[in-house]
Amino acid sequence: MRRKKVCFVGYGSTEYSRKSEESLLGQYAIAIRDVLNKTGLKKKDINGLSVTTQASPDTAPHVAEQLGFELDWVLNADYGGASGVGAVSRAADAIECGHLDIALLLAGNSFDRSVAHQRQLEYQRGNFVDVYGYGGPNSLMALIQRLHMENFGTTLEQVGKIAVAQRFNAINNPQALFREPMSMQDYLNSRMISDPVRLFDCVMPCSGAECIILASEEKAKQLTDKLVYLVTDAEKIHYQVANMLPEKTTFGMKLVGEKIFSEVKREDIDLFEIYDDYPIAVMIQIEDFGYCKKGDGGKFVDAHDLTYKGDFPVNTGGGELSVGQAGLAGGFLHVIEGLRQLRGEAEGHQVAKAERALVTGIGWLNYGRNLGTTSALVMERRK
Amino acid sequence: MAEARAPQKSLPKINPVDRPFWEGAKNNKFLLQKCNSCGKVQFFPRIACVDCFGEVSWIEAKGTGKIHSFTLVRVPRNPAFKEEAPIYYINVILDEGVIIESRLLGDNKEKVKMGDRVKVRYEQTHNPDIKLPCFELA
Repeated sequence: MRRKKVCFVGYGSTEYSRKSEESLLGQYAIAIRDVLNKTGLKKKDINGLSVTTQASPDTAPHVAEQLGFELDWVLNADYGGASGVGAVSRAADAIECGHLDIALLLAGNSFDRSVAHQRQLEYQRGNFVDVYGYGGPNSLMALIQRLHMENFGTTLEQVGKIAVAQRFNAINNPQALFREPMSMQDYLNSRMISDPVRLFDCVMPCSGAECIILASEEKAKQLTDKLVYLVTDAEKIHYQVANMLPEKTTFGMKLVGEKIFSEVKREDIDLFEIYDDYPIAVMIQIEDFGYCKKGDGGKFVDAHDLTYKGDFPVNTGGGELSVGQAGLAGGFLHVIEGLRQLRGEAEGHQVAKAERALVTGIGWLNYGRNLGTTSALVMERRK
Repeated sequence: MAEARAPQKSLPKINPVDRPFWEGAKNNKFLLQKCNSCGKVQFFPRIACVDCFGEVSWIEAKGTGKIHSFTLVRVPRNPAFKEEAPIYYINVILDEGVIIESRLLGDNKEKVKMGDRVKVRYEQTHNPDIKLPCFELA
């Protein structure tokens, strides 16, 4: 569907840390103060709140109470890695309906051990996967990567090129945990985690928080002269769920892409913020979106420069692979980097022509298939 | 304060829906669900047919299939499996046409290739009532 009157107004972030035991509420407060400072909004201007985390048993209404928000709309947005785009979609629905005009979409992770983390392993993961000694998501994506390599002849160098390009993008991103250059040799030599997935195919879990302000066009015009519109968004949940022999190397993003590109031209996208829990997942999404044929992702990567200076800029701030994954805030990182680029605020890693960005989220590696949630949006800068 | 305990290998939390599966495994049978309405065979166990929502019954699988994909887990999520790493974690396409997540065992597991034929092998867990269906190269 096409959105008409919903805009991104601003974003706020914390620093990322691999060790900090700052409380989750403390992380939220830092990100919220950051966005209020940047936008000039007061806390009382915000009348909708969405919360995404696995680091606390408290759901959005409880968080709202603790942070002192009186609201017209509240959402607990846990769709795995698709939560960033998913929260934006749902907030946009509510804004278009007139339930609210300024939403704060919040996500974070914390290593504060005094608070119980929220999510247990889901039933099928607990009863039919974990019992075999699997290695978490790394193992489940490894099964998919091996199939891609085996069926399509994709090479480690092609997969690695994504990680290496993203590291180049991260070098001038102050938020990134990994800013030292990475060579292809560094990638290939990195420790094996779950063959063929290596250490530099994996994200670094960290603590931190991200937030986004989404508003009605009318409010947005009062708040910023850098108007970034939500143009279109779509999602697919549990693609192939009833197929007991699913195609593991095709995600629901294929169907999401069909919806997205019925509204926007493929070639009109300037930059790609593609959920990157693993480089192979980026490659598969590029295929699913139809930028090349299924299985040709490796060749596509060979033929393009994926850096922020390149002809197909991907994860221009380094992505989760180089910045770090603050739990479910990982999916928000991509939305925010898109916004940063379109507002011309990506100092040191700014894409020259940044008018339209495609942002994706994927989540819930599942039993025998691939992903539970896949979602995408297009944002556009208008003068 | 609770004393630190050595990590235990993960076990299924058996529930009314999957109890027949685990009872079957205990008796060296690999059970799948089959829809009474549309005939679809499915795994993991669900309350209804994943396709048409019909009621399901249990059928016995042959316990044979082929490797669809595999990975060598160097860092198991549950540290209790650490001593056994690398774990040969596999996806098997059973001959009944269903993908199963499992583990490859046996002295020759290092030779595994995509498409290799496998057969089920039941492993006793530390709970005497629970056996785990694993596989070995056929």
